[in-house]
Amino acid sequence: MNHVEIHRDECKGCAVCVAACPHGCLVIGDTLNLMGYQYVEFVGNDRCTACGLCFTVCPEPGALVVYGMKKV
Amino acid sequence: MGGCTHFFGYPITPASEIAQQAAYWFPLAGRHFLQAESEVSVINMLYGASSAGARVMTASSGPGIALMGEGLSYMAGACLPAVVVDMQRSGPGLGNIWPEQSDYNMVVKGGGHGDYRTIVLAPYSAQEMFEMTMKSFEIADRYRMTVFILSDAYIGQMMEQVSIEGIPSESGKKDWAVYADAQSRSNLITSIYMNIEKQSEHNRKLQKTYEKASRELLEFEHVATEDAQVVFVAYGICARICLSAVRSLRRLGLKVGLFRPKTLWPLPEQEIKQFAAAKKTLVVVELSSGMLASDISLYANGATEVLHIGSFGGATPTVTSLVDRIIEHIGDRHA
Repeated sequence: MNHVEIHRDECKGCAVCVAACPHGCLVIGDTLNLMGYQYVEFVGNDRCTACGLCFTVCPEPGALVVYGMKKV
Repeated sequence: MGGCTHFFGYPITPASEIAQQAAYWFPLAGRHFLQAESEVSVINMLYGASSAGARVMTASSGPGIALMGEGLSYMAGACLPAVVVDMQRSGPGLGNIWPEQSDYNMVVKGGGHGDYRTIVLAPYSAQEMFEMTMKSFEIADRYRMTVFILSDAYIGQMMEQVSIEGIPSESGKKDWAVYADAQSRSNLITSIYMNIEKQSEHNRKLQKTYEKASRELLEFEHVATEDAQVVFVAYGICARICLSAVRSLRRLGLKVGLFRPKTLWPLPEQEIKQFAAAKKTLVVVELSSGMLASDISLYANGATEVLHIGSFGGATPTVTSLVDRIIEHIGDRHA
């Protein structure tokens, strides 16, 4: 299944990816990470198309990785 | 509370929240907020508004402060007051958004060109972030200098209780500023003196101000240093970590203390000299390759051992690692 993996301690919770996702797959969570930021969480297990927009707009390279899975 | 009337900001992690809050609260309080198109623009807005007598402020991080370098020098040359917050992040270059203390050289030594100084205050808690910023406007006006609040991404992201106390201050009309009225018509804000003697005289005047400020503004904190044989020297988040280490080491019966400079310019030279004369080992803990340690070594002047514990990239030393290091060091000395 397509999904996005977030490195929670590298995310600063800017929410640009949340705005960029066309399917509402990302939300800012309620938990603080190691550095005191509310990091983004992936909630789009059923609708992620692995378009990669979230990865493209993320200002902190590496905080977010997109996995596109081919159906077999 | 400090009487700030104008905030010119540009976002950069980890200082963006300051601009964000200023954008919300300043208009509500009848003050002014403006987001500039870059940090170069920010510092020039500070220059302009300060010239007109306003109490001005901005907040940025390493890369942004670097862009402000020229403007900071111009403001120093023109004797303009301002408050600039630097929430230090990892560098060099884009680095990352985690804490470091590697802007020390840039901020404490005057990161722009020319022979100038800025006052540098170093908070280590949310309470000090508030208190130091609040009093910095009056200090800036008093000496007509830029006051830096040098903090880091850790202190910046901390959530702690803050006691909001004190009497809000306002600046009166400044006799040197330009107000677009007849009285201030003859005032001139400038940093250029083509005449060699005039420029030389101007520089001497600046140096006198710096001398006065360095005598009057010194602030620091001693924690258990009187009988200590080893003294940590640290500011910001490192001071918090060292404080915990001191407590742990004291519980083990070891005589360790912490010396915390609250002003990095002026840096407490006499205190360091006294530690050196008493042969106390100084352990400088900072998130850099040794910028503060360099100055401490200079003041110690070879009279005592100065050790440096540094880290980069957002990593901070653990209390355990500091405790172990000190135990090891004291053990080596007795061996």
